[in-house]
Amino acid sequence: MKSLRRDVSSNPQAANVASKVFVRSTRSGKVQKIVRELYLRQDIPCSSKLCSSCPSVAPADANGNIAPFVLSDRPAGTKAFPRGHYLVPDTNALLNGMDLFEHTGAFYDVIILQTVLEELRNQSLPLYNRLLSLIKTDEKRFYLFFNEFRLETHIRRGPEESINDRNDRAVRKVASWYEEHLRLSTKKGKKESSLPAIVVITDDKGNLRKAKEENVTALSLSDYVAGLEDSEKLLDMISEAREARDTKGSARGELFYPEYYSMSRLMTGLRAGTLHQGVFNVSPYNYLEGSIKVPAFDKPLLILGRDNSNRAIAGDVVVIELLPKDQWKSPSTKIVDEEAVTKNDNPDTDEIEAVVTDRERKALQEEAKQAHGKNSEGKPQPTAKVVGIIKRNWRQYVGHVDSNSTASHSGRRQQTVFVLPMEKRVPKIRVRTRQASDLIGQRILVTIDSWDRDSRYPTGHYIRSLGELETKGAETEALLLEYDVQYKPFPKSVLDCLPAEGHDWKVPVSKDDKGWNGRRDLRDLLICSIDPPGCQDIDDALHARALPNGNFEVGVHIADVSHFVKPNNPMDLEASVRGSTVYLVDKRIDMLPHLLGTDLCSLKPYVERYAFSVIWEVTPNAEIVSSTFTKSVIRSREAFSYEQAQLRIDDPSQKDELTESMRHLLRFSKILRQKRYDAGALNLASPEVRIETGDEAGDPLTDVKTKAMLETNSLVEEFMLLANITVATKIYESFSQTALLRRHATPPPQNFEDLIHQLSKKRGMELDVSSSGALASSLDRCVDPENPFFNTLVRILATRCMTSAEYFCAGAHAESEFRHYGLASPIYTHFTSPIRRYADLIVHRQLASAIGYEGEDGAAVNEGVSTRGKLEDICRNINYRHRNAQFAGRASIEYYVGQALKARGEKLAAGGTDTGIDEEGYVMRVFENGAVVFVPRFGIEGVVRLEDFVLPGESGAFAVAERRELAIHRTTDFDSEEYTLRVSEKTHSEKEKTHSEKERSVQVELFQKVKVNVSSVKEEGRGAGKRRVRVLITGS
Amino acid sequence: MPLDTSTTYPLTKLRLDGRRWNELRLIQAQISTNPASSGSSFFSMGNTSIMCSVHGPAEGRRGDASGSAGGAGAIVDVDVNVAGFAGVDRKRRAGGSDRQSSRIATTLRSAFQSHLHTYLYPHSTISIHVSVLSADGSLLAAAINACTLALVDAGIPMPGLLTSCTAGMSGSASTPQDPRNNELDPLLDLSLPEEQELPVLTVGTTNSVPVGENNMDTDEEEMKVAVLTMDSKLHCTYVETMLAVGIDGCSQIRELLEGVIKGSSRA
Repeated sequence: MKSLRRDVSSNPQAANVASKVFVRSTRSGKVQKIVRELYLRQDIPCSSKLCSSCPSVAPADANGNIAPFVLSDRPAGTKAFPRGHYLVPDTNALLNGMDLFEHTGAFYDVIILQTVLEELRNQSLPLYNRLLSLIKTDEKRFYLFFNEFRLETHIRRGPEESINDRNDRAVRKVASWYEEHLRLSTKKGKKESSLPAIVVITDDKGNLRKAKEENVTALSLSDYVAGLEDSEKLLDMISEAREARDTKGSARGELFYPEYYSMSRLMTGLRAGTLHQGVFNVSPYNYLEGSIKVPAFDKPLLILGRDNSNRAIAGDVVVIELLPKDQWKSPSTKIVDEEAVTKNDNPDTDEIEAVVTDRERKALQEEAKQAHGKNSEGKPQPTAKVVGIIKRNWRQYVGHVDSNSTASHSGRRQQTVFVLPMEKRVPKIRVRTRQASDLIGQRILVTIDSWDRDSRYPTGHYIRSLGELETKGAETEALLLEYDVQYKPFPKSVLDCLPAEGHDWKVPVSKDDKGWNGRRDLRDLLICSIDPPGCQDIDDALHARALPNGNFEVGVHIADVSHFVKPNNPMDLEASVRGSTVYLVDKRIDMLPHLLGTDLCSLKPYVERYAFSVIWEVTPNAEIVSSTFTKSVIRSREAFSYEQAQLRIDDPSQKDELTESMRHLLRFSKILRQKRYDAGALNLASPEVRIETGDEAGDPLTDVKTKAMLETNSLVEEFMLLANITVATKIYESFSQTALLRRHATPPPQNFEDLIHQLSKKRGMELDVSSSGALASSLDRCVDPENPFFNTLVRILATRCMTSAEYFCAGAHAESEFRHYGLASPIYTHFTSPIRRYADLIVHRQLASAIGYEGEDGAAVNEGVSTRGKLEDICRNINYRHRNAQFAGRASIEYYVGQALKARGEKLAAGGTDTGIDEEGYVMRVFENGAVVFVPRFGIEGVVRLEDFVLPGESGAFAVAERRELAIHRTTDFDSEEYTLRVSEKTHSEKEKTHSEKERSVQVELFQKVKVNVSSVKEEGRGAGKRRVRVLITGS
Repeated sequence: MPLDTSTTYPLTKLRLDGRRWNELRLIQAQISTNPASSGSSFFSMGNTSIMCSVHGPAEGRRGDASGSAGGAGAIVDVDVNVAGFAGVDRKRRAGGSDRQSSRIATTLRSAFQSHLHTYLYPHSTISIHVSVLSADGSLLAAAINACTLALVDAGIPMPGLLTSCTAGMSGSASTPQDPRNNELDPLLDLSLPEEQELPVLTVGTTNSVPVGENNMDTDEEEMKVAVLTMDSKLHCTYVETMLAVGIDGCSQIRELLEGVIKGSSRA
């Protein structure tokens, strides 16, 4: 028998094969030992343009290309390194200072080691992804050096060496190798003294010490940054997490928060069902009250107070444990603002503060009293506490420095300040900065680094400033950042995917051109589009014509975006990340480059365009006989606005074919609409207003318009719904697992409990939520003859009780779950707006594949229908983007209304006093110390606090400060059963009270119509810069 | 989590184990490792190592030989056993074979049944036993190579060496290849983590040893693809590239195996 041992001596290559052994544990808890080979080599280039030897050995890829060298031959330097330097950061430096490395002012020519990249990936996936995108951009000159594969820089782990020490050693080894390598192989003529220094950046003290011993230049991140220009700003960008831990150490005894359970305990608890996992949510009205929806219970569980929410921030995925029954409470009926309660906290003096301040405790006590009081309906509800965090969902937050928290004698000393995030549900963030005085009055971007047990507030660091508060640029950017809208200009790689002809692109004249493959020529049809005025991205166009057999042919033509956006090219990937076009009042953030969205795809009138058409044959009673789908070429005859179309239809003198076809469409749409309502579709209301930015000179408030519904609006809407439903059916037939559909889940009846109770109590009205049809008809019955808006108000409230619609892929749910509740359709998707929604683009591809369309080159484009896993990822993203786009749009309108009010206020103030605008409002919600009022004219909801109730006989003192004084003298009488709140003047003696109460009090109740005064005031707390729109109740 | 090829390959042009796109793993091969069998071999590519032994041609069992197929020539019988300790997780297999090993066995059987000159041995059976000692990707390819060596050792006539290797692409390759902007490289000889992440095909080629009149014109080597399997999803425009790289790998392996065979006969 021969020996089978690997014979190293015979093979010269074998000496260069090392192996890497590591242990990993799988998700199920199994431990695996993995062995990998490493082929050590000497042809991995250093990628420095200074080097003369590497270019000759650098290997080519399969196409014979050699990767260009990255590191500059004249790298930037600092005072300490006048010859320039290459940076070699270790993992901790990247963990603590990723924002710095992304900064455009410094940190060029960086060598990222394989060791570091791998370690970073293990520690933080988001940071890993950010680093990868840095490496991919050319301008920052980051080079990924695979040190573990280079013979000279590969090191073996010593027997007693920890993995961290080994990795640190690898970093130092690379640094010394680079130095040596550059010295030997620099191009001739370069003086040795001009070689750049290799600087290791590490925050590990041991590593720094060893580097010194080994003669490797190494600096800590903060020491390095201190040597740069603009160091103050840059120093603020270092993550606080590690530093804080280092300085505090164990000396600081006081711990404010309970410790989290260990991971194994959490897992055991979750499996046993004693613990629950869910997403932590914070009430928008009370920052101390959180709720969590967990699958085990129908209703969300309450989490009250800081102790119980235990460092969870809205959005985190947390594990909770139920509290004993004697601690159950009813949800709060108070408005609690963080800045009002904790205004005087000092960011520096952590030692003396308790986690729950006395004032907070008091606020909680009152709530407890409330819960245990008289009420029968407000039964104590189960409460819970957070015992562990599964996943932090921290992002970057836009906020501003709380000017109260800065020291007046600041100078340039580093100090700790509070940053108040715009998002009210996020606690203030403690940030250390050297530029506090500069930052006051600025919109800034910060991130949270950690929240330790010994700190009352989370600790974070400054990233950058967006500009001055209340300036348009800063506020718009803030809004986009806050809603995670991708607003950067399209990169070159995306623009490269556009047709080379640019705006001159035309539908090919010759029908033999491959562009005509599989397309029907519909250019002779009288097609027109109807859109909001000024619309540039025209997604859809329509036509109708009579057929010889007495039936009608109706067609919906949608821009053929999938012709221009090929799957998986950079443009497609960018669009899938953006997910949706975002419409702000004065800005549009496109999903697709301008050229496509507003020109080549847009179904502009008088020109030929590619389209994807859905054509039905319908009977005169709008019964659908058949439907066909085809790619086509159309020529729109006219682009109408809703008003224009309406005028043309209504004008009896217009008798041309186009108008006639629109009249047919209108007639059909009315029938379709009625059918839909008969099937139980809901007519929901949203408090939307539209801003028409007209001339600059006029009163900006007149631009605020509530959305008018013309018949032509619903004409377009009906046919889009019909097209969507028809397409949904077709793609589901073809792709039973991967069809991209949209559903609106039936809301659980308990969502409506509160509203039903309120309606029956206040108005004696019934709401039947057993089905969408029943709900629709009972909503129709909720009419108050004296209050025409009441019905809309109820619809708005009912809409809020529902779940939101979502995209999903067909395999993810049972067919019975496909239902679209609001539209009362068994199946639904989005097909009609591919220019502004990515979902529609995918549906287009699926439909093309379903009808066997083969594309230009004859190859079926079936991407997007193939893998369900990928599709589910896309669904998750577009659901998220869709929601954010809506939020961003609303926030933009809100901001615009605020600004318009401000402009008006200033104009008035010039000529006298700002008296605000008197409007009608409706009470949506009543709290123990305030109310929420909806003002339909501006589509805004305002929280009315105690001081904002104008009591009878009181003069309208409008200054914020004056009014704030009033709050102390007010008492309230809140009836949670009757949903009423009486606000009256606090008086000292009983006798006086009985006397004065009659005239000095005001009472509001739910659904009540009230007179309000709307003005824009400079807010001092949270919303500073946003200019809170203040609502005063002036009478009922 | 370790890094993955599709992310880092475009940046560094290096694979997860430090190889370039066109490099084979370290190959080690021996023949006549088990004198008790008619022919035997040991073959390893990287951390995939396989032992193979051949018994026969021997008189088949009565049942088999009486069949019509046995009359025309020898029957190739392949038995593949992936050791429980071959992978990362130790698996206890209840007796018989699992899906993976029976698939390999079927492929090997049909490949060699048609490759070998079986007509020389009617009414007999050639049985091949393949033992996978450790599995780290390209199992089928390694098994084919091991069998070829063992069959040569057993002296069973065949037209040429049947060698095999795998080829993949450095990304998911799900969309048509763009000739102007080709970011993906073909990869040769995939290891297990690469196999799990990327599209992969296995190709086996044979060169027929020239016979007859033209046996002197051997400068142009003639090759035939004898085995080709692919289980992964990939756009068809890439297949040609992968195939070209795979075939090139096969001839590299052939040279290596020829060296091993010649070296062994000298000894």
